[in-house]
Amino acid sequence: MATVSKEIVTLSNIRVVSRARSLAYGIALMVLGAIEILWYGGASSKLNTIVQLGYNTATVMPAVGAVWRIALLLIGGGITYLAIKPQTLASFAKAITTVRGLRSVAAIVGAYLVIWPVLLWAGVNHGGQLRTFSLPVATTGYVLGAVSIATGVLMAWRRVDRSASGLLYGGLIVFMLGFLIWVARGSLPLQLTGILASAVAVSTFLIFGSVSGTLCERAGVVNIAIEGQFMAGALSSVVFVSVFHGSGMSKTLALLLAGLFGALFGWVLAVMALRYQANQVIVGVVIVAFCTAMSQFLMTQVLDVHQNLNGSFGLPVWSVPVLSKIPVLGPVLFDQNVLVFFAFAVVIISSFVLFRTRWGLRVRSVGEKPIASETVGIDVIRMRYSAVIIGGFVAGIGGAGFTLGPGSSFNYGMTSGYGYIALAIMIFGRWRPYGALMASLLFGFTIALSANLNLYLGQLVIPQQFISALPYVITILVVSGVVGRIRPPAADGVPFQRN
Amino acid sequence: MKLELRGITKRFGSMTANSNVNLVVKPGEIHCLLGENGAGKSTLMNILYGMLTPDEGQILVNDEIVTIRDPKDAVAHGIGMVHQHFMLIPVFDVADNVILGSEPVKPWPVIDYKTAIAELLVLAEKYGFEIDPRATVENLPIGTQQRVEILKALSHDASVLILDEPTAVLTPQETDAFMVILRSLKESGKSIIFITHKLREVLEIADVITVMRLGEIVGVTTPSETDERGLATMMVGREVNLVVDKNPATPGDVVLDVKDLFVEDERGLTSVKGISFEVRAGEILAVAGVQGNGQTELVEALTGMRRPSGGEVILNNVNLHGESVRKFLDAGIGHVPEDRQRFGLVLSLSISDNLVLDQLDDPKFHNRFGRNLKAIKLNGEQLRKEFDIRSQSAEEPVGALSGGNQQKVVMARELSRELKILICSQPTRGLDVGSIEFMHRQIVAIRDSGVAVIIVSSELDEVVALGDRIAVLFDGEIQDIVPPSTSREDLGLLMAGAHSREVSA
Repeated sequence: MATVSKEIVTLSNIRVVSRARSLAYGIALMVLGAIEILWYGGASSKLNTIVQLGYNTATVMPAVGAVWRIALLLIGGGITYLAIKPQTLASFAKAITTVRGLRSVAAIVGAYLVIWPVLLWAGVNHGGQLRTFSLPVATTGYVLGAVSIATGVLMAWRRVDRSASGLLYGGLIVFMLGFLIWVARGSLPLQLTGILASAVAVSTFLIFGSVSGTLCERAGVVNIAIEGQFMAGALSSVVFVSVFHGSGMSKTLALLLAGLFGALFGWVLAVMALRYQANQVIVGVVIVAFCTAMSQFLMTQVLDVHQNLNGSFGLPVWSVPVLSKIPVLGPVLFDQNVLVFFAFAVVIISSFVLFRTRWGLRVRSVGEKPIASETVGIDVIRMRYSAVIIGGFVAGIGGAGFTLGPGSSFNYGMTSGYGYIALAIMIFGRWRPYGALMASLLFGFTIALSANLNLYLGQLVIPQQFISALPYVITILVVSGVVGRIRPPAADGVPFQRN
Repeated sequence: MKLELRGITKRFGSMTANSNVNLVVKPGEIHCLLGENGAGKSTLMNILYGMLTPDEGQILVNDEIVTIRDPKDAVAHGIGMVHQHFMLIPVFDVADNVILGSEPVKPWPVIDYKTAIAELLVLAEKYGFEIDPRATVENLPIGTQQRVEILKALSHDASVLILDEPTAVLTPQETDAFMVILRSLKESGKSIIFITHKLREVLEIADVITVMRLGEIVGVTTPSETDERGLATMMVGREVNLVVDKNPATPGDVVLDVKDLFVEDERGLTSVKGISFEVRAGEILAVAGVQGNGQTELVEALTGMRRPSGGEVILNNVNLHGESVRKFLDAGIGHVPEDRQRFGLVLSLSISDNLVLDQLDDPKFHNRFGRNLKAIKLNGEQLRKEFDIRSQSAEEPVGALSGGNQQKVVMARELSRELKILICSQPTRGLDVGSIEFMHRQIVAIRDSGVAVIIVSSELDEVVALGDRIAVLFDGEIQDIVPPSTSREDLGLLMAGAHSREVSA
């Protein structure tokens, strides 16, 4: 009878790899902890940092009495437990997505109900306002350092399989928070919520850009032209809105126009790369060069002359009822301009489309092994065309994020290489829209950080330029594969030709 | 379904790949298409499956002329194909691979996985396949991947299945299981076109055998009318010596001593797990095993192309662990690589340049300005004659040669150095019977001249014919080293992971 040979790639093999990584990450965490203790802990013991949690006065956590608090705690705890207990997880694993989504919602609601009384007891809600905290800098450093080292030791010793990278990222975020607390010591209060909110705002175009890159590369086409599509979107949208003096309808149409311009350059890339089989990277760079020159030309010859064509019009800000009132989280996620919500929507939609629909499956197949798609009757070239054009559309809307998002006029060179960084983010996010979202937020955080650190220039021992260079340093680390083994679509950037 | 090819002709430039080919496949018939590599079997089948367009000729389905422009048309006419190199997407799961191109959607455009998986399971059960629809294809054994390919074709309601060299990647036991599948497909009324060059399988399973040579059909026969020798003669066009003539080996001193060797592949997974063996002068150690059980990494470690993660490679009492490829070559290791086009040759360079690729620092081949063109050319002409490399001259680019002649160039280069040991990986892969004969004679001759030889091959016939001892590799470990007189069945069990004790028990 047939003996089926054993799998060559065994689970134990994979575990060995991730265990080695766990050791490395653990050591990295220990180093971080040591730095925290030596650096932040070394601050004068008398110095305090005032942390401001919020800038909105009302919260959805009204002060309630002790009985209510306990009741909330019990109800919330119960819901959370039901939502995340192992048996539920096991039975839900086979169920369809919507139910899984419900479970997450239940978990979130439960957690909120638990956090509400806890925060009240902690005294966060102080006289109708979020109160400020005063943290001793040195002690914070010691505590953070100790926690980091302990986690690192645990990781290096126990060798966790799955959560290693999550813990490392957590450690990095803690390190950054520690840095913030250290740098804002003394005088000025630290606007924590403000920094996070601007981080989300500046990551808008990064999200659009990296999702665009993800869509194209999943289909096997490298879209280096994102930078050019950004410029086209930024310029066209601002001119269009200015012509109509910033009327409401014109803003919606301007976003569409920005997308169409992006799609146009996506189409150019597709024609050159797919029909004429030109080198995708070179075509992309040429498109960027064209857009750079074109925007400079239009800037100096048209916009500088007719300044009314280059106005500053911002997109409206949406405050989501209820949600925007949650302390810290509310202003950061639910009190932003429309484009930010569009960015979240693009992530959700593109992830669904890529992984759940017919088009998505076919796009991924032509990015992995086009010859196999061909044998089941899929038109490889047409799939790639559609992905690249849609990707260009997304990138074009992202371009509007430079001008209409913050409400500024077009400026030559304002995209400053973020189109390329978006590609690094795409790699960081492992060619997945949700990964791209998380990575974009991380990059947005470093960008917002370097902008906010201007306030504390006097207390910064390192040159501010170092902080400004941070996103680029991370980009280099990401692209050189420091973040771990990443696997691009197999046919990424490989031209396809029917015999 | 009755399928007929009438007068198919296909030319690539001046080369005629198929010339006036006529073929009739009756319903419920296993039709074997036999021929050497380059005989035009794959071209013919690619025409039938719409991957190539014929210059002349017609395809008839149930006696009606049909046009097949692309694979979609072929599928619509009930033709399914299992390609030699699987057309599966490694990172997709089984279900995604099977439904790709004909995904059920509900509501549009969301894929209805519930229906898809249910249908898949029904189909799998009908043909007795055991398959997990959610398993990622690249983690499945080759035999299972092949079943996924077959399921994919069946899910498109194929009534004619083209199987292109399906047994090339299987262990003997997997091949037996595959034959069972073929018979059950036949019983359910499917016609099967089975392409192969393995004579034994043809005689076992075929209803009708069509033999092709140089793009033409040279004979149609049945298993009862012929035997292996007759088929081989038809295939090659002359009498072929199917067995390798060789005298018993006279092993000398230990040349290569491998101790506790560990090697990782490029993904960082350990694929050679603590192998130890020794090879003596004047003997052939054949390494058998199904592809992907660590052979590639083992050979790369033995030739210096990959740094082992542990263990020792000792050649004539010198430990070569971690040394450069140059050091390995200088120590007397000859290497005929698995993928000759990637690692053995520079396809755009001439035959004579390829013949001195690793010897340019030899004073014979360079002068104070650079390459000694005269000497290189002379050397090229000489070796071309000696090894019967078929070309106009030694200045032709190697890429223009046939596979057999390319392999001769590699072999000629390696043998033109002073060797202690010759390591050949898949030395006859993709070669025709005539070239295989030549290669085997060369390998035996070099053994008889007192050089140690390692042959790594996934062809069991070759391993048995050449090896003085056979090491069976499974999952990165040597299961056992056995004499060539071991039965094929036992070898197959070892290749599938059984240990010697279990086999003899």
